[in-house]
Amino acid sequence: MLPTRDSYMSEMIRSELADAVGDEHVLVDEAEKLGHSVDYYWMAEMWHDRGMRNPTPDFVVRPGTTEEVAKVLRIANTYKIPVTPWGGGSGSQGGALPIYNGIILDVKRLNRIIEVDPVSMTVKVESGINTQHLEWALEKQGYSTMHYPASIACATLGGFLAHRGTGVLSTKYGKIEDMVMSLEVVLPTGEIIKTLPVPRHASGPDLTQMFLGSEGTLGVMTQATLKIHPIPECRKFHAFLFKDMTTAMAAGRGIMLSRLRPCVVRLYDEPETKRLIKRVLGIDKAGAYLVFGFDGPREMVDFELARACAICREGNPEDLGTELGELWWQHRYKFFYPPFMFHLPQAFGTLDTVATFANIEKVYWAMKNTVEQNFTGVAYIGHFSHWYEWGCMLYARFIMDEPPQDPREAARLYNKIWDQAIRAAIREGGVINEHHGVGLKLGRLMKDLYGPAFVVLQGIKKTLDPNNIMNPGKMGFEGV
Amino acid sequence: MRSETLTNVIEACRFCFMCRHLATVGNVTFRESDTPRGTALILDKVRRDPALLQCADYVECLYRNALSGACRKHCVSSYDEVGLVLAAREDIVAVGAAPKAVAVLAETLERTGNPFGAAARTGAKRRAATTADVLYFVDPYAAHKQPEIAAAFLAAAKALGVKVLPVEGVDAGKALLVLGYRDQAAKAAKRVRKLVAESGCKTVVTSCPACFDAFKNDYPRLGAGFGAKVAIEHSGAFLLKVLEAKKPKISKRGKAKVFYLDSDFLRNYNGIVDEPRALLRALGLALLPFGTNPEESCACGEGAVVSDVLHPGVVSLLRARVEELADDPAHDTLVVASPYTKHVLVSGVRPLKVKTLDEVVAERIG
Repeated sequence: MLPTRDSYMSEMIRSELADAVGDEHVLVDEAEKLGHSVDYYWMAEMWHDRGMRNPTPDFVVRPGTTEEVAKVLRIANTYKIPVTPWGGGSGSQGGALPIYNGIILDVKRLNRIIEVDPVSMTVKVESGINTQHLEWALEKQGYSTMHYPASIACATLGGFLAHRGTGVLSTKYGKIEDMVMSLEVVLPTGEIIKTLPVPRHASGPDLTQMFLGSEGTLGVMTQATLKIHPIPECRKFHAFLFKDMTTAMAAGRGIMLSRLRPCVVRLYDEPETKRLIKRVLGIDKAGAYLVFGFDGPREMVDFELARACAICREGNPEDLGTELGELWWQHRYKFFYPPFMFHLPQAFGTLDTVATFANIEKVYWAMKNTVEQNFTGVAYIGHFSHWYEWGCMLYARFIMDEPPQDPREAARLYNKIWDQAIRAAIREGGVINEHHGVGLKLGRLMKDLYGPAFVVLQGIKKTLDPNNIMNPGKMGFEGV
Repeated sequence: MRSETLTNVIEACRFCFMCRHLATVGNVTFRESDTPRGTALILDKVRRDPALLQCADYVECLYRNALSGACRKHCVSSYDEVGLVLAAREDIVAVGAAPKAVAVLAETLERTGNPFGAAARTGAKRRAATTADVLYFVDPYAAHKQPEIAAAFLAAAKALGVKVLPVEGVDAGKALLVLGYRDQAAKAAKRVRKLVAESGCKTVVTSCPACFDAFKNDYPRLGAGFGAKVAIEHSGAFLLKVLEAKKPKISKRGKAKVFYLDSDFLRNYNGIVDEPRALLRALGLALLPFGTNPEESCACGEGAVVSDVLHPGVVSLLRARVEELADDPAHDTLVVASPYTKHVLVSGVRPLKVKTLDEVVAERIG
């Protein structure tokens, strides 16, 4: 039982937390509680919008060192207080919401770049750093993480680590889990550990990969060593318009199976080409818009670009040229700014999933049919934006222009769409998420995805976090 | 409530995170509430329940805002997050919920014409006793904290053969406006307009970007515009024009490499990016990019005009951020466009080497 907020016990805990991190870093003011009550999850936004009360933290605690994180977790263990890590707060899955109140562990003060190693091309950095700030600092020295997500301006590195995030250059440079060399982690019980210094080894299972994507349920990742890259000599783009998504998919698949190494491949289905490519880029054409890019030494880029274009031309597309490819690159983040991004009163959700080339179109159609046939007034659009040698990611979205006004009714309908669409994806070989994570939104579907294997995850959680203080109720794990 | 006129901004910003890397105060306090999203969430609550304007935590947050305009400039849709906070401050003042420190500061500004409560300097010209083509308006920071700036401008003008009428000790009203005291700001603006009219000047020049913005953008809205026949110039742009016209001999003395730190009011409010840089290049200086990026505000709270008086702790953090971004803070020469920013940057425990554009001009042509 948590102490009530107006009890002296609450003040006792506050004093102990202040002793650990400094009085000015234990916040209880209303402005800060409000700021930590809503993340980028539609449900929390809608709840706020309808005048409902979102759960708020009892304390916003802001450690400045790894040791301070450890102290806070030990205190939380003593009193069995839920701890919810918070970075930029821009997650879309509700993973950072303090659903059981307790402590919000805001890690933004952990923002130091500890070391740039130019010999191995790595950077050791604290996890609370704003990723745009990290990228700017590296660019000044001639390097880049090549991690360019739409949320680069707002999310912390820890957020990407916690949710296995990805950026627009992932097709060449990988997702965040491909970029990490090693981690420093504070376990739920307060021990500080480091994973092995290199990501390739035969020294047992990979602890680094176990913590990546754990969404604050297994501890707090306080430092990471990342690979970095030289700024490429050039980066070029090209765009085509195909008659339909299937023909364009064949072209994209052809590029990947040829083992060319594009940094970007992005294919928009016909509805999204009509709706968003027109609105954001001003390209008013019917069909499926495909853009790709290459970077590196100029001669190599020109060669690969020409080969990729040749592969595309086999599908008889309209050649939109370099200019309309560059246009996408220049405006790649514009899609996410208001008013271009979907927003209330609309209900919307990103059903991102990933599957092999053999399955990805089946996943697309299964979700699309589920959404459009079972829910009146709900549109489905999608694009394929992170490509692998074996398949690609589908960034599908549903949009409901007029959801119910009653917040409970809206929540029920919203969850029903998610349940049915995600289960349809799983049946066709998809997963519940590709790069936004699970959080509160999709936790209930983890058992559907993992089946008996979910017991393994539950066992790890129970072993590392015996008092279940770390982000309880998320990822399908037990609540308080 | 005035903030209700900006409901579109509240609705756009309350769930948007796309500019938080540029949230000037949020970047140093690490508070969620010190971002445009945080303030929009607060004002979204307030519009549903106006009684929350009395919430001291909310009010404190709204007054901590540095109003740098960096987020608005970055936003692809230019949502006016600055205007929203200014409107909210007017609402706060209207319901009598301004913090005591704000109310005291406003009273001081009205009574003395400056935020320090200082008496006018001996010999300061508060009236246009004579007429001149160019009126030079001296702001409180240049008058009371950095008198070398006005001296440099006047020396440069003299060397370039420009006759200038200096005026100081008169409040431009900008600080009152950003604190939420619109009516008092309008009175101040009308006093300045009268003074300008009496001087018969054709150009009003000031080294203070806040005053420049007030004259150019606020005064017409307050019913105190100078009229189409009076040009308004920041001293940097004015001196650049004179230099280009008169082509004086430029001295090669002094450090050849400098870093220019943009002013909030010049860059983010008025889109003036090139002129200060062109001026420095015209003076034969090698201009290096400051920090890691061209978007972040390094003006230390200039947008809030009197930040150092109201929130010295926050300003100290903003100053530390500039130091952190500098390549070599002990040796770099930083050039700024604002007496306020210079005052903050030279007031730390380890003062930085800072000059204003006016001082650089005076050095190079003197």
